[in-house]
Amino acid sequence: MSTLETVQRVSSKLELRNIYRKFGQVVALDDFNLTVEPGELIALLGPSGCGKTTALRIIAGLERVDSGRLDVNGIDYVAKPANQRDMGMVFQSYSLFPNMTVSENIEYGLRVRKIDSSKRKKIIYEKLELVALAQKSNSYPHQLSGGQQQRVALARALAIEPTVLLLDEPLSALDAQVRAQIREEIRRIQLSLGITTIFVTHDQEEAMSIADRVGVMSHGKLEQIDQPITIYNNPLTPFVASFVGEANRIPAELAEPGYVKVLEQTIRVANQSFDHSHGLPVSALVRPESLQIASESEGTPGQVVIKSFLGPLTKLGITIEGGLMVHINVASKEVSSVDIGNRISFKIVAEEVMVESA
Amino acid sequence: MRFSPSKIVTITLATLLAVLIFLLPLVAASEYSFRGAGGKGHSFINYQWLVQQDGFASHLLTSLQLAVLAGLLNLILMVPTAVLLHISLKRWRPIVDFICILPLIIPVVSLAIGAQVSMPKIVQNTQYELVFFFVIIALPFTYRTLDTSLSSIDLKTLVEASRSLGAHWITTIVRVIVPSIKGGITGALFLSFALSLGEFTITSLLHWDTFPTWTVVAAQQNILGAIALSVFSFVGAVLLMIIISTFAVRKRSASISHIEEVIA
Repeated sequence: MSTLETVQRVSSKLELRNIYRKFGQVVALDDFNLTVEPGELIALLGPSGCGKTTALRIIAGLERVDSGRLDVNGIDYVAKPANQRDMGMVFQSYSLFPNMTVSENIEYGLRVRKIDSSKRKKIIYEKLELVALAQKSNSYPHQLSGGQQQRVALARALAIEPTVLLLDEPLSALDAQVRAQIREEIRRIQLSLGITTIFVTHDQEEAMSIADRVGVMSHGKLEQIDQPITIYNNPLTPFVASFVGEANRIPAELAEPGYVKVLEQTIRVANQSFDHSHGLPVSALVRPESLQIASESEGTPGQVVIKSFLGPLTKLGITIEGGLMVHINVASKEVSSVDIGNRISFKIVAEEVMVESA
Repeated sequence: MRFSPSKIVTITLATLLAVLIFLLPLVAASEYSFRGAGGKGHSFINYQWLVQQDGFASHLLTSLQLAVLAGLLNLILMVPTAVLLHISLKRWRPIVDFICILPLIIPVVSLAIGAQVSMPKIVQNTQYELVFFFVIIALPFTYRTLDTSLSSIDLKTLVEASRSLGAHWITTIVRVIVPSIKGGITGALFLSFALSLGEFTITSLLHWDTFPTWTVVAAQQNILGAIALSVFSFVGAVLLMIIISTFAVRKRSASISHIEEVIA
């Protein structure tokens, strides 16, 4: 059945089960599991080499699996070649066909599907309107800016009404301002079409701002997949805590069961599964916004060595006893009189912190 | 970019020198080729003599036919090979690089005699065996041109984009890869065509008659006619190059106007 026979494609459910993929001696995906609900936008976030792009390429059919199962709406896709999957993909490097104009690029997938000319024209017009590039229909890729090229790539991927939209770091090559603008456009279009989407990125701000759920990956596995706010506030593992957002690693001691002593304060341990019995030194992971300026009597003293103005917030770098530098984010008006070299005290205001082996 | 006065003088002198070296012999040869009877006055008499010679048209047509066939065979063999070497058979590239240099290393005599026996039976002892030889001698140039052209585009991503949009391999090659390296293909075609059209040694060794072997015999009869012949050959080659380039540009324009129709 042609993809375009249905006017409004029903959003697809995507399931990856026990996917394993190895390149030589390197395990790219190890027992990887992911379920994406219809119409959901999932961001796969992780450092370089964590396997996020491999996962995306496996879904697209551009990479084979060593073992495991990939289902779209309950149908096994593992053996399907890439050109029969009806998945729209946007690449990091634009990937527009240089010999074709903007409209020819959008038309390509429709011609391949032998859609008749009048219908093709209608779809091209719709997609050009969707990405606000109708006036560039006869331009060639080299005549467009990076942001415009990526919007054309998005329109081209959407023109075939894909079962799943796959975005492989689509904003990495763009400058900061354009990146924010295109990110918002992607989200608007994704919501308006209700298309199941996977967005691969190594930029946490990008992932947090665009996704319904964020999957944090490390060493070929999903460390945690949850709503952005949960990932940030309740990371399940020290890796997630340190990779997502900023965290100070402060030497600590395990106190009574389930509690840790850090900066002379006793605080509940967030990751209760941490092995408390091994007696090894630990570090507490404390976010800069979980620290607050305090009076000398109740806080830890230190010397301000860095002061960075970030608008409503100011980031201070404070050196404490032992030479450790701790970053703290405070309201700018609170520290307007604080200068580099001043001594101030601070305390932890979080109810619980994550710990890891030091 | 702005150049200092001394650089401008150097560039101008170098350009003038190059123009003199290339154009002076051509202008002189052209002037001689239009000399009248006994070398006096100017007329078309040498060109008239040339086209009236026995075998002029037939040998020219034979050479053109063989050159076209060699050019096409070269592209049919080398475009898919070069594409595969860039996509999925990358580790074979050094070996193919080496093989493609061999025609420059192997002496033409060894190549002519040795390769003749391995030609397909259907073309052995016909002038069409020359097509295969022409492909071999053009191989180092055509392969290098295509290889450079493919290296200049993000082939892997283009192929993956095309495949993810639903295209088969053949569609991908014909509609995405070939147009993206059209410059390289035109260059490879022209190199193959020009080398085939001017090939003398192998043709002579194998006792076939083409335009280059015919010119050697014809040129011995009339010195001014021989000069007219060389000017004719040069101008002919340049005209063919212009025709090929014009054809490529026209195809592009036709494609653009088609899309303008679609959008309108």
